[in-house]
Amino acid sequence: MTNMNRTQPITLLICALGGEGGGVLTEWLVDIARHAGYAAQSTSIPGVAQRTGATTYYVEVFPVPLAELGGRRPVFSLSPVPGALDAIVSSELLETTRQIGNGMSTPQRTLVITSSSRTLTTAERMQLGDGRADAQRLLDVVKAFSREHHVFDMGAAARDAGTVVSAVMLGAIAGSGLYPFPREAYEEVVRGKGDKVSKMAEASLRGFSKAFDAVNTPRQQAAMVTGLLAGSKDEAPITSGLPQAVASLFPPAVQDMLALGHARVLDYQDADYAQLYVDRLQKVLAAERAVDPAGAQSFAITREMARWLALWMAFDDIVRVAELKSRASRAQRVREEVKAGDEDIVKVYDHFKPGAPEFAALLPASLADRVTAWDRRRSTPWALPLKVGSHSVFGMASLRLLASLRWLRRRGQRFSQEQALIDRWLDAVVKGTQVNWRLGHEIALCGRLIKGYGSTNERGKHNLLHVIDHLAIAPLPDGSPTARADAIAAARNAALEDEAGTALDATLVRHGAPPRPIKEQPIRWMKRTPNPASHAR
Amino acid sequence: MEVSFSKEIEALRLGAGDTFHGEGILAITKGLLQSGVAYVGGYQGAPVSHLLDVMVQAKPYMDELGVHVEACSNEASAAAMLGASIHYPLRGAVTWKSIVGTNVAADALSNLSSPGVRGGVLIVVGEDYGEGASVIQERTHAYALKSSMCLLDPRPDLGVMVNMVEHGFRLSEQSNMPCIMELRIRTCHVRGSFECKDNLAPAVSTRALIEEPAGFDYMRLAHPPVTFRHEKLKGEERLPAARRYIAEHKLNELMPGKHTELGIVVQGGLYNALIRSLQQLGLADAFGATDIPLLVLNVTYPLVPEEVADFCVGKRAVLVVEEGQPEYIEQEIATLLRRRDIQTALHGCDMLPPAGELGVEALSGGLATFVQRHLPDHAQDSAQGWLTGNRDRRAAVAAKLETPLPNRPPSFCIGCPERPVFSALKLAQQDSGPVHIAADIGCHAFGTFEPFSMGHSILGYGMSLASRAGVSPMMQRRVLSIMGDGGFWHNGLLTGVQSALFNGDDAVLMIFKNGYTSATGTQDIISTPDDEVKAHAVDKQQSLVDKNQTIESTLKGLGVQWMRTVHTYDVDKMRKTLNEAFTSSFNGLKVIIAEGECQLERQRRIKPWIASLLRQGQRVVRVKYGVDEDVCNGDHACIRLSGCPTLTIKDNPDPLKVDPVAVVIDGCVGCGLCGANAHAATLCPSFYRAEVVQNPKWHERLLHSLRGTIVRALQPA
Repeated sequence: MTNMNRTQPITLLICALGGEGGGVLTEWLVDIARHAGYAAQSTSIPGVAQRTGATTYYVEVFPVPLAELGGRRPVFSLSPVPGALDAIVSSELLETTRQIGNGMSTPQRTLVITSSSRTLTTAERMQLGDGRADAQRLLDVVKAFSREHHVFDMGAAARDAGTVVSAVMLGAIAGSGLYPFPREAYEEVVRGKGDKVSKMAEASLRGFSKAFDAVNTPRQQAAMVTGLLAGSKDEAPITSGLPQAVASLFPPAVQDMLALGHARVLDYQDADYAQLYVDRLQKVLAAERAVDPAGAQSFAITREMARWLALWMAFDDIVRVAELKSRASRAQRVREEVKAGDEDIVKVYDHFKPGAPEFAALLPASLADRVTAWDRRRSTPWALPLKVGSHSVFGMASLRLLASLRWLRRRGQRFSQEQALIDRWLDAVVKGTQVNWRLGHEIALCGRLIKGYGSTNERGKHNLLHVIDHLAIAPLPDGSPTARADAIAAARNAALEDEAGTALDATLVRHGAPPRPIKEQPIRWMKRTPNPASHAR
Repeated sequence: MEVSFSKEIEALRLGAGDTFHGEGILAITKGLLQSGVAYVGGYQGAPVSHLLDVMVQAKPYMDELGVHVEACSNEASAAAMLGASIHYPLRGAVTWKSIVGTNVAADALSNLSSPGVRGGVLIVVGEDYGEGASVIQERTHAYALKSSMCLLDPRPDLGVMVNMVEHGFRLSEQSNMPCIMELRIRTCHVRGSFECKDNLAPAVSTRALIEEPAGFDYMRLAHPPVTFRHEKLKGEERLPAARRYIAEHKLNELMPGKHTELGIVVQGGLYNALIRSLQQLGLADAFGATDIPLLVLNVTYPLVPEEVADFCVGKRAVLVVEEGQPEYIEQEIATLLRRRDIQTALHGCDMLPPAGELGVEALSGGLATFVQRHLPDHAQDSAQGWLTGNRDRRAAVAAKLETPLPNRPPSFCIGCPERPVFSALKLAQQDSGPVHIAADIGCHAFGTFEPFSMGHSILGYGMSLASRAGVSPMMQRRVLSIMGDGGFWHNGLLTGVQSALFNGDDAVLMIFKNGYTSATGTQDIISTPDDEVKAHAVDKQQSLVDKNQTIESTLKGLGVQWMRTVHTYDVDKMRKTLNEAFTSSFNGLKVIIAEGECQLERQRRIKPWIASLLRQGQRVVRVKYGVDEDVCNGDHACIRLSGCPTLTIKDNPDPLKVDPVAVVIDGCVGCGLCGANAHAATLCPSFYRAEVVQNPKWHERLLHSLRGTIVRALQPA
């Protein structure tokens, strides 16, 4: 008896996000325990649950049937106790890790069943670059701080079964054998009262058994985990079709990126332009060969330049966008994304808002200048908000018309401007490489700052040029190549921290370079008169 | 209303011999009916919203019993409602979220407590304290002390909680004091069971009306000179009466233990955590049998001096387990021990953390110190190992992660009509310069989180406009006050609008008119669209809040001259309207009404409607937005302007590019913000709006196939 008096309840912490049905899950568990004749209690911190925040639920079940307790009732804890949990079941990998970080899980005691899927937080999504937490690192924590762990994509399991993740989590709990209840006990409660099983219940049961098997079948499980830990990122397919003449000019280490880049530039404009790409890249290769003839760095500069040069040369403009949006493959992709049935009709409206600069880009310099000058004179810049129905004949026709203006691009003002900027950057890379391999490499990597379209693209170019002029070329307090390389690397990362470039300016100043010149931005000033306004009635 | 409580309402009908299974707050609701409550009121707020929600939905059954249920406009009106029990033998209960709700109710509570009550009064407050709390961290205890109200803090066991409800009413009647019952968050949501009794139909009720009003009795007024007498009565009669009742009925539980030379006094609500801590230290068993004697205070005010003295006298040391600050109970015990010259050592805040929730781990730390000091022979290796183990593990995980994990604060729902307003506000500040933003309580407070991070102050529910009265006269640029329709009716109309108009203030007020008090669970308010309107709406997808003009007509009636109504999803128009308000030459109160129905409520209406249409094989148009992965520039400006959960990022499918691209995942309700932002902010042209037509009509099919052939002819691979 005293032995049983010291018996501890089975403790389970459930982590879910708002709207994932964690409440239903705990209700199920308590009912299952009750019907099986065991004492159980659940509590929760729903907070503002359905508003996508993280929520936790806590369940305690006493492992000895009520019938054997001689009328006594165990006292349950209302809150999970760090280091005293038998299991954590979580529908989101980051939240699993957060709870482990709170000290909840112990390698001696805790079974962790977590979804491999991530629901990215706003903080991760809003970064200019890639702000996502390293999933591999999160998984390492799960492995290191659990007695036993099961990892699988609960979200996918739920989607396949056409149910919500709570049913999947229940299946995982049942499959883990955490509780002394038979599988039927779980399914009965999910099925609900009455002999007729509802569609919803059926879907729940499908999700239940998927998860049950996933956790219950070790081999399947192991495969999934190793699959995950290996990292599911599929590598870039090496697109062949690179002319032998071109391929022979570059070392093997560069080939795959070169093939992609060459194809991109060719697809973007024409053979001449692709040739220009190759010529430019050869300058870089020559410079790199000079400082690293043995290829000790496996020609990383040339390889990175093959990437960034192609992307910059294939700069986005309305012609390019029209081309991409009018492809048949794209129409198909949209149908799949919106999960349209075969019988369904899909209408696609594309949001464009080209401004004066976009049109000016395609005009010869003299004309373009006049357009932009006119635009500057306006209180607010001119732009044309469009919703083009690419499913309609007119919409598609106008997209194709725009896409066919490729020839105009070459004659346009922007084209020549971009080429000039590319050459400045290229020149900096080549010169930098000649001075010091790392310096050249860092400048090459700055190609990452050049992105997309409109204001984003403008910002990127300003930042890049400023970095080149003041960190790569201009004299610095410590002008040593390595110091410059460090400064450029720091500036590059800082540039991706915030739109305003506050971090970038700080970094520039820290390394003895001037901050970027303040760009004028029209603001409608409204000044209230110092003495309080008279009653407006 | 957010949820349907049909199941819970059935549970309310249970009678003697039945067993109730469910949440703590619903057990309390059942307890009210078992005690013959005659009227119930309150204001919604976690964690006690369900009490009122269920009662409102159970109106037919309440009418059957003769119980009146009132959804009050705020906690003050709920507390004032208790005035019914001053003269008449009516048992009344009200509920709200504390501390904030009690603050709002304080005036009425004082004026209720002074004359005292004849019918039993129970105030069920959700003590929103510790993990999961959404308000400032203060104790309701102070109100019980200053206004002389009994404070019940029942052990979180459904049976005990229900029992304390019934005792609460009697205690209130015996002592003429109102009773507050504080329930912590987890206690409200605890799932358990208890043996039911039959519900009592109140003797005086909406079915058995009072024939004549009570005679005039000045003593029942909270008005001098009798208020001086009331104050004396509190000390001379009411508190003693209360103490008598508490002692006679043994509301506080005495739990013996073998270490008689020690003792622990604990708030009832903390009992379970204390037992688990004792278990961790090997001083209690699974069923709560403890080695150290306990005095469990199910009533934390007033204390019964004899009870406490008898417990402490002859003991070497006593530990008071009390949550939050100041440590009122510990101080009172210290005083009474000193007065009685009892030399027992008293511990509490010297060993336990003075601030924050007393979870099992925190509690065990203090308990371990207490045991070490006064029970040195008791082995603690296991407990200490567990505590240090936790510390070490946390450090180890932090080290392994290197960078701290990103937080996941709550955010606007998918398709929320309030999100676009903050997008517009972000853009408007780029035109007119940054403004001081007086924020408020409500869903819109999520605008203080990423990606918007807007708001300078939150002074209380509906207080935003009032809270800028001192700022805007000092500020060169105009100040923006943000208020929900919930806050507007709760008190923003008077404390804010009326005052601003009277003083002719130069102010800008943004009212989020989503039709409900959404943050508390989308309860209806006076400006909620009528059910008939919803029933008759041909297109159930559209927002219906424009069908109710109560807010607009109220403002006009008060004399607001500058008022604009903007549909929230029209970001460009909202941006222009904000700029106009910030720069207009009109120096009075400028009100912008941001119109857009709560998406939660809309989806509850839309989902079944769509499902039924599809069942009947009728034409349905589903809208989803998407991003072209090969056009997206991977800068995520769109996300910094939205933060919608379904607008997220994925690995870049283009092997040349490294930064992740934006993607719209399943769950998008096609609210239109992505498109509106793309135009308003001139984002990259990667966004598309897809309209999926299910069960299209035959001529649609025909047209589409013809169109399709031509379009395909134009398309390259």
